[in-house]
Amino acid sequence: MEELKKNILSIFNDLEIYIRKDNRMFINTKKETVLSLLSYFKNSGYDHLGLISCNDWIDDSKFELVYILSAYMANDEEFQEKEKRIIIIKTRIPREKAKFITVIDIFENAEPYERELHEMFGIKFEGHPRLTPLFLELKYETPPFRKDFDTEKYVENKFGKIPTIKERKNNQKNERT
Amino acid sequence: MDRNQIGKWLKNPGKMANKYSFHVVYFCTGCGIIEIPPSITTRWDAERFGIIPVATPRQANLFLITGYVSTKTLKAIIRTYEQMPEPKYTVAFGSCPINGGMYYDSYNTIKSLDKYIPVDGYIAGCMPRPEAIFIGVTHLWKLIDMDKADGYKRYREDYEFYRENQEQLFGELDWPPLFKNKSS
Amino acid sequence: MNIIAMFISPLIALITGMFFLGIFRKIMARLQWRYGPPVIQPVIDVIRSFSQMSISHGSLFDFGIILSLTGSFVLILFLPIGELCPFTSGGLIAFIYLMLLDPLGMALSGAAAANPNSSIGISRKFLLSLAYEVPLLLVLLAVMTRYNTISLVEIVKIQASTGWAFGSWTLVLSGIAYFLILPAILGVRPFEVVKASQEISSGPIAEFGGKHLAFSTLQHALHMFVGLALFVDIFLGGWTLFGLLDPLSGTVWAVILGIVIFLLKMIVVLVIEIFINAVYPRYRIEQAMKYLWKWPTLISFIGLIIVVLAN
Repeated sequence: MEELKKNILSIFNDLEIYIRKDNRMFINTKKETVLSLLSYFKNSGYDHLGLISCNDWIDDSKFELVYILSAYMANDEEFQEKEKRIIIIKTRIPREKAKFITVIDIFENAEPYERELHEMFGIKFEGHPRLTPLFLELKYETPPFRKDFDTEKYVENKFGKIPTIKERKNNQKNERT
Repeated sequence: MDRNQIGKWLKNPGKMANKYSFHVVYFCTGCGIIEIPPSITTRWDAERFGIIPVATPRQANLFLITGYVSTKTLKAIIRTYEQMPEPKYTVAFGSCPINGGMYYDSYNTIKSLDKYIPVDGYIAGCMPRPEAIFIGVTHLWKLIDMDKADGYKRYREDYEFYRENQEQLFGELDWPPLFKNKSS
Repeated sequence: MNIIAMFISPLIALITGMFFLGIFRKIMARLQWRYGPPVIQPVIDVIRSFSQMSISHGSLFDFGIILSLTGSFVLILFLPIGELCPFTSGGLIAFIYLMLLDPLGMALSGAAAANPNSSIGISRKFLLSLAYEVPLLLVLLAVMTRYNTISLVEIVKIQASTGWAFGSWTLVLSGIAYFLILPAILGVRPFEVVKASQEISSGPIAEFGGKHLAFSTLQHALHMFVGLALFVDIFLGGWTLFGLLDPLSGTVWAVILGIVIFLLKMIVVLVIEIFINAVYPRYRIEQAMKYLWKWPTLISFIGLIIVVLAN
């Protein structure tokens, strides 16, 4: 992994890399270099995008996007060498009117992950063909995974205000009399 | 079980037959799906009570709602429930249909199933074991004997209130009302 | 005598058909190491189905299942049960002709139901009928040529004097061929492609509720009865027992004993079919057709040639 780190640092600048446990590489980068970094990794053998995740740093008012890469078993010798190595790339984007560019051109399986992030966090991905709801049925004002979404208040307003059938019948009876 | 008392059969064959042949809609969502296959296979045999799962709601008369109900599933549950022929019974498993259970503060699950479709009985647990399921079925027999398992009659009479609750939750429903409004 | 037989015969067929369905579920349960439902469980199911309100998709939907049930009832009238045979003049030709009313009725109902699962189920039903009719016709031709008659009553009476058809060297191959296609006629595994409940939501009866489902269950019971009864009549000697009951012939006791022996033989064949059902999984429809047109057709064809050469 050390050679990989040297190779990356010789090509790109503006990165921070640290390696833990001999097989996990964490890279903190600026948001403009993400695409070139991803294509570099795809060309050097790490062609499996595991997940795109997001953390909500509400005090700094930033979202942190996390890309997790690893290697498929290309052929047996390479797999022995790259066994269980995971590359984690993190960037930060501003929280107000969050938008980012899509990585579908490099990794095609990023489509449902970005769709989920759009639904749950409200991040808009430019160039994504289909940013429609994936899991949820109702519409929410604040996307539900953000830290300023108050779940108990939402539950009280939405589900608590629906009366039981007996209450509705009594209301109708009281209205009539 | 009073399945072999000929006198009761001759007095009211429809009610006795409704008790002893429950065909269950094989609609499995939520956590409780893990308890249904054990209770219909060899170890805790449910077929000796007359319970057997069928493929379509048109042939069924018992609807088991096993576990939590998310808003997306509730649409499917309402449409399935309205396709079943009457008389039909609903039994809810677990603590989530009663008051939300473990997901009491979730933005996506409904907190009380009785506001949307009528429920005849609840079986407590998280998830109830197959023995608890069978005890629940025998309680349902007693309710049918006493004519108290009338969820379908309540749905027919109070349909406008159920429909208002469903519309308040979803906004607009894309299927027409099942029963015409009674002119009051 | 014929009027009484016309009423008693379908009644016996219906009651024992439901009994056979009950035995089916009970023995399957016991083979799987569990207790099963009581033997009268199909009767309880039918009573419950009648007490539910049914949803109809139009008059063609109602008519189709009635046609199917009527076809099975009329088929019973041409079949000798014990010594009761109301219509003796049709014989095997009427039998072959009337066996097609069952899929036809189901097709009408399924087409009116507008459910894609029903359409798939009906196409499978017709394909399966087509597949097992070919060896069935060859077998029946062999039997008709050997005994020189088309009447089922005559076939049974000849077997009373000359021994069971399954045991005679001319007809043993035809008997084996019929035994190989018997699961397809009854609808047990491995040929349970029509009512496949896990794949196509129970096929043609997917939209049946209430009284339609009750009629469908009755029709299934009668269909099973007819399939077994034909095998017993043609190959296992019907209601006779090697001519031991000849001194009693003409009395009421002969009729009752004949019916009892007939039903006992049918139960033995049914239990063998249940054992086959418990072991096998389900074929796909193209696998079922390939099998039914290969070995049973070949064996019955050879059987037909043997019968023609021996005559």
